[in-house]
Amino acid sequence: MSANPASKSQPVSALPPLSGKPMRQVGSTGPLVLLPNRCTGCRTCELACAFAHSEDGNLGLSRIRIHPAGPDRYVQVTCLQCVNAACVQVCPTQALVRNADTGAICHDENRCVGCGLCETACPFGHMHFAVEMRKPVKCDLCGGRPACAMFCPHEALEWR
Amino acid sequence: MPIRFKINDVAVEAKPGEGLLDVARRNGFSIPSLCHLESVPAIGACRICLVEVRRGRRSKLTTSCNYEVLDGIEVSTDSPEIRRHRAMNLELLLARAPSSEAIRKLAAQYGVSQPRFGPIKYNPLPNCILCELCVRACTELGHHALTTVGRGDRKRIGLPFNKPADTCVGCGACASVCPTHCIPMTDTLTKRAIWGQKHDFVRCSECGAPVITKKHRDHAIATKGLPEDYYDVCQSCKQIATSQRFAAIVW
Ligand code: SF4
Ligand code: SF4
Ligand code: FES
Repeated sequence: MSANPASKSQPVSALPPLSGKPMRQVGSTGPLVLLPNRCTGCRTCELACAFAHSEDGNLGLSRIRIHPAGPDRYVQVTCLQCVNAACVQVCPTQALVRNADTGAICHDENRCVGCGLCETACPFGHMHFAVEMRKPVKCDLCGGRPACAMFCPHEALEWR
Repeated sequence: MPIRFKINDVAVEAKPGEGLLDVARRNGFSIPSLCHLESVPAIGACRICLVEVRRGRRSKLTTSCNYEVLDGIEVSTDSPEIRRHRAMNLELLLARAPSSEAIRKLAAQYGVSQPRFGPIKYNPLPNCILCELCVRACTELGHHALTTVGRGDRKRIGLPFNKPADTCVGCGACASVCPTHCIPMTDTLTKRAIWGQKHDFVRCSECGAPVITKKHRDHAIATKGLPEDYYDVCQSCKQIATSQRFAAIVW
């Protein structure tokens, strides 16, 4: 299902290259910084994310969303990788685990039973349950090389 | 003391009591499987995760999901012998679940397209392979709503005694984990139908979208000690609220 090798812990250098040419290189530490004042609402990040996580670039599987916030104003919303994350706390099977290298809370397909509790638990609405797959869709910071930040043409997403 | 052994000649380590399939996956070896998740007890029902385990001079084929790792074993995850047995098992599973996409695909990889057996006469849940992954997931979640009903060739999965069960909260985990996606579950705006029962949804107080079944909410609130209004708003509406909060900070 997932085309992204990221969920497992591995050095960034070992990740296969993304198809397509990124706008710029990103470092390897993070955090992911959202800068809505630079966002033009072009939604390149949504597309980059969708392709990083599915063969066919299914936008329904994008982990980042752009919301309009007034005339010519846009806000990017994506998982904040909370310290005391609600999704981690409600998951009955410990299927959401923080990756020590990237700090991302990653979804473990080998543990998840698809109960959907995580989606309803996130107070920010960042966790999304894909109904056809019956699995949650969750930002994994692409294993330390977030496609959204690499492809944003306006530097409105930074991986510092 | 970690357990040390080899998979396809590569040295790996594991904790005592771990299942071989879990250790293999963690180390990047892929073994086909249909009825196992790390979070539920393994029972070795589908018999697709077969591997060969050598211990000293003795060697045997065994299911890897419910095989506890031992020091010094040598495991191989693929060989003509293993493939032959997997193919046979897939042929049997295909006879039970002839229209399951997942089984058809896996069987095709093993050169099986048409089973010599079947069609089976009794399967009230078409494509169910009786692996009980749904039963184990439901039990693991603490709902204990599912079980096997009947014996022998009349065995099937259902609610106990095939009667309506109060314990089912309509979470849908059984339908999620089923390897053949054979458990019918239908959602409308107001209700979820599963196992012959209907469960009312909590509706989003902003937009009216279904959020979670009322029983599942009550179970989650009771077991996790959450506030009563925790499930009042749906995911999309919460996300919009978040974007507005961000916007208020920036501008
Ligand atoms: S859907 Fe999966 S990850 Fe989410 S709470 Fe349920 S078991 Fe955990
Ligand atoms: S929907 Fe009902 S039977 Fe299925 S896992 Fe949830 S509680 Fe168990
Ligand atoms: S996964 Fe081991 S027997 Fe099904």
